[in-house]
Amino acid sequence: MIIVMPTKTSGEKSFISDHFGRCNFFYVYDSELKSGEVYINENKDGQGGVGIKSAEFILNKKADVLITPRVGEKALVVLQSTDIKVFASTDQIVKDLIVSYLNGELKELY
Amino acid sequence: MKQILVLSGKGGTGKTTVASAFIEISKARAYADCDVEAPNLHLVNKVMNKKSKPYYGMSKAFIVQEKCIECGLCQTNCRFDSIDFDGKYTINPYACEGCSVCKYVCPVDAIEMRQSINGEITIYRDKNIFSTAELNMGSGNSGKLVTEVKTQLKDNLTDEPLVIIDGSPGIGCPVIASISGVDLVLIVAEPSVSGISDMERIIQTAQKFRVKTAVCVNKYDTNISLSRKIETHILALNIDFLGMIPYDKKVIELINNGEPVTNVEFSVSFAIRDIYRKAIQMIED
Amino acid sequence: MQVAVLSGKGGTGKTLVSVNLSYLAKDSVYVDCDVEEPNGLLYYKLKDTAQEHVNVKIPVVNHEQCIGCKQCTEFCEFNALAYILEKVRVFKDLCHSCGGCKLVCPQNAITEFDRSIGKITSGFYNETEVFSGKMNVGIESGVPIIKELLKKVLNKKKDVFIDSPPGNGCSVMESISDADYCLLVAEPSIFGLHNLKMVYALVKVFNKNIGLVINKCNDDDIIKDFAKANKIKIVGEIPMDLELGRLNSNGEIVSKYSQYSWLFKDILNNVYKEVS
Repeated sequence: MIIVMPTKTSGEKSFISDHFGRCNFFYVYDSELKSGEVYINENKDGQGGVGIKSAEFILNKKADVLITPRVGEKALVVLQSTDIKVFASTDQIVKDLIVSYLNGELKELY
Repeated sequence: MKQILVLSGKGGTGKTTVASAFIEISKARAYADCDVEAPNLHLVNKVMNKKSKPYYGMSKAFIVQEKCIECGLCQTNCRFDSIDFDGKYTINPYACEGCSVCKYVCPVDAIEMRQSINGEITIYRDKNIFSTAELNMGSGNSGKLVTEVKTQLKDNLTDEPLVIIDGSPGIGCPVIASISGVDLVLIVAEPSVSGISDMERIIQTAQKFRVKTAVCVNKYDTNISLSRKIETHILALNIDFLGMIPYDKKVIELINNGEPVTNVEFSVSFAIRDIYRKAIQMIED
Repeated sequence: MQVAVLSGKGGTGKTLVSVNLSYLAKDSVYVDCDVEEPNGLLYYKLKDTAQEHVNVKIPVVNHEQCIGCKQCTEFCEFNALAYILEKVRVFKDLCHSCGGCKLVCPQNAITEFDRSIGKITSGFYNETEVFSGKMNVGIESGVPIIKELLKKVLNKKKDVFIDSPPGNGCSVMESISDADYCLLVAEPSIFGLHNLKMVYALVKVFNKNIGLVINKCNDDDIIKDFAKANKIKIVGEIPMDLELGRLNSNGEIVSKYSQYSWLFKDILNNVYKEVS
C-alpha cells in the first residue's frame, strides 16, 4: 500500500509538518517495495485552498493512507469522498511513524 | 502545546487588552498578533530582538508597455475593474485580484504576473517568542498572512505549553485563518446592540469550524441590562460564559503606558484573572 | 458630496458618527459598508424594507463534456478547482469569480451560476435613505457587496455618508473609492493613534480630502498632537460621556437628544465647510 506523509524536511528522518496544505515536502512510501520517495510541495505558497491541492497530489500518487496531524475543512471534504484512510500522526520521524502505523498503533483522524 | 485565540466580531471590545493580560498572567512565552490589518499587541507586550521580512502576497498583473498594442481585450475581460486607460492601459495594483485572465487573453503576451510585497512579517525573540505581521494598505487576502504568522510562531517554538493569539475583528478570511488548529476561542463581547449583533456572527463563524468557544463580557457596567441579556443568551446556547469585566478608565492609562492591565491589582485585573482560570480549565478538560 | 467615515481601529465610533451625521443632514443617504459586521440598522430601525441578494458567478462543470484536460484546475490561481476522482470539483468559497476557467476550457464545458454571498437591505428612515450590506457567514470577502452598495448611490444628488469597515484592507479601500471626503474617527490611546496612522496613510495614497473626529475625548492630546503635526483638520471632538455611551449602546440615535444634537450638527457644518 501507499502511505503519504506531509513533512518539514526531506527524507525518512524528517518530522511531520503541522500543515497538510503548506508542508514543504511529501514523503510517499510504498510498503511492498519498502521504499519511499520525496516530492516538493509545489502548492505551498498558494493563497488558499492549498489543502485541496495536497489532496489532489496524494490522489495522483494513488495513496491508500495519509498520516497527518490535521486536515483543513476543504481538504477534509475531498478526502472523505475518496477511499483514503487518514490517521493522526504522533511526534515521531517518518521512519518511526511508518512502523507505528504498520503496528496498528495510530488512531484514525476522523 | 495549547492555543487560545481571542476574538470579538466587533472591533474595540478589548481583545488586545484581554490577550495581553492573559499573556502576563500565564507568563506565556509564545504569542502572536493575527490582527494583521491593524496589529496592536506589540504596543503592550514588548519583546526585543526584532527580525522582519517582506511578505509577498499574491502576484499581480503588470502590462509591459512596449509590447502592448492597445487592443483593450484585457480591460474587457477583467471582472474587477482594475484596468484603466488614460493614454495607455495600466493595471491598478490595488484593485487587481491576480486572477491572470488578462494575461491569458492578451494576444501579444504583453502581461506578466509579478509578485508584490503586500506587507511585512516580524518575529521577536528573546525570552519570549512573538510573531506578528502588518499588511500593507489595500491588500487583500490577509488569511494567508495570518497563516504565516501562526506558522512562523510554531516554527520557533520549543516546549512552550501555552500560546495566546490576539485575533482580528470581523468574520472574514483573516479570522477564519486564525481559528484553524486552536484549542479555544474566547470571544470578548461588549454590552451594546452592535456588540451583541457582532458577537452572534463571530459565534456562528467559530461554531462552523467546530472549535471550543467561550464568551466573556467587557465593560459590563456601561450597560448592565444588556450584559445580563448576553449572559442569559450565551448560557441558553450551551456555550461557556466565563465572566464579566468592569469598565475602568485606568485601563486606557495602563495600555497607553504599554502595560498589561494585570500589572495593577484592581477590579479589572481580578475579573480577567478569574476568566483566565476558567479558560485554562476548559482547555485542560 | 460623498463622505466616507473610517477609522482603522474597530470600535472608535464610525457608526456613531455616520449614523448621526446622516440623521441630521437633510435629504441624505446612509450606506453601511461594514458588511462583515453591519450595525447601521440597529440605529436606523426601518419599518418597510426591500431586500436583494448580492450574487457572484461560480463555475459549474458539465462532466459529460469535460475531457479531463485539467486546464481549468491548473489555470485557477485560487485553487478553487481540483481534479479529484476523475471529475473537476469546484470549491465555491475559494472562487474569486474571475471567469478564467470558463475561458480556458477547450470543450466549453464550464458555465456559471449565481451564488448569493449576502444581501442588501434598503429603506427610508424619515428623510434618510438607508442601505445596509450584510455578508453571509463563512464567505471570505465582502468586496462584491460593497461594490453593489456603491453602485446604488453613484448618481444620487444627495449627501451620502459611508460607514466603512474597520482595518485598512481591500474592503476599506473599496468603501472609500468614490468618496469626496474621508472623515477619520480616532480615540485618544496608543492603539487609537497607531491605527489612525495606518488609515491616514491609506487615504493619503488615494489623495482624498481628510478631516478628523476625536471620539471618547479626555485630556490626552495624543491624537491632537498627531493632527497638528500632519496638518489634519479636526472637525469635531466627542467627549467621553457615559450617558452618550449608554444611549448609543442601546441602539439610540443620540442626536435625537438636544444635549447631543448640537455636537453632531457642529461636525456636520464643519464637514460642509471643508467640502465646499
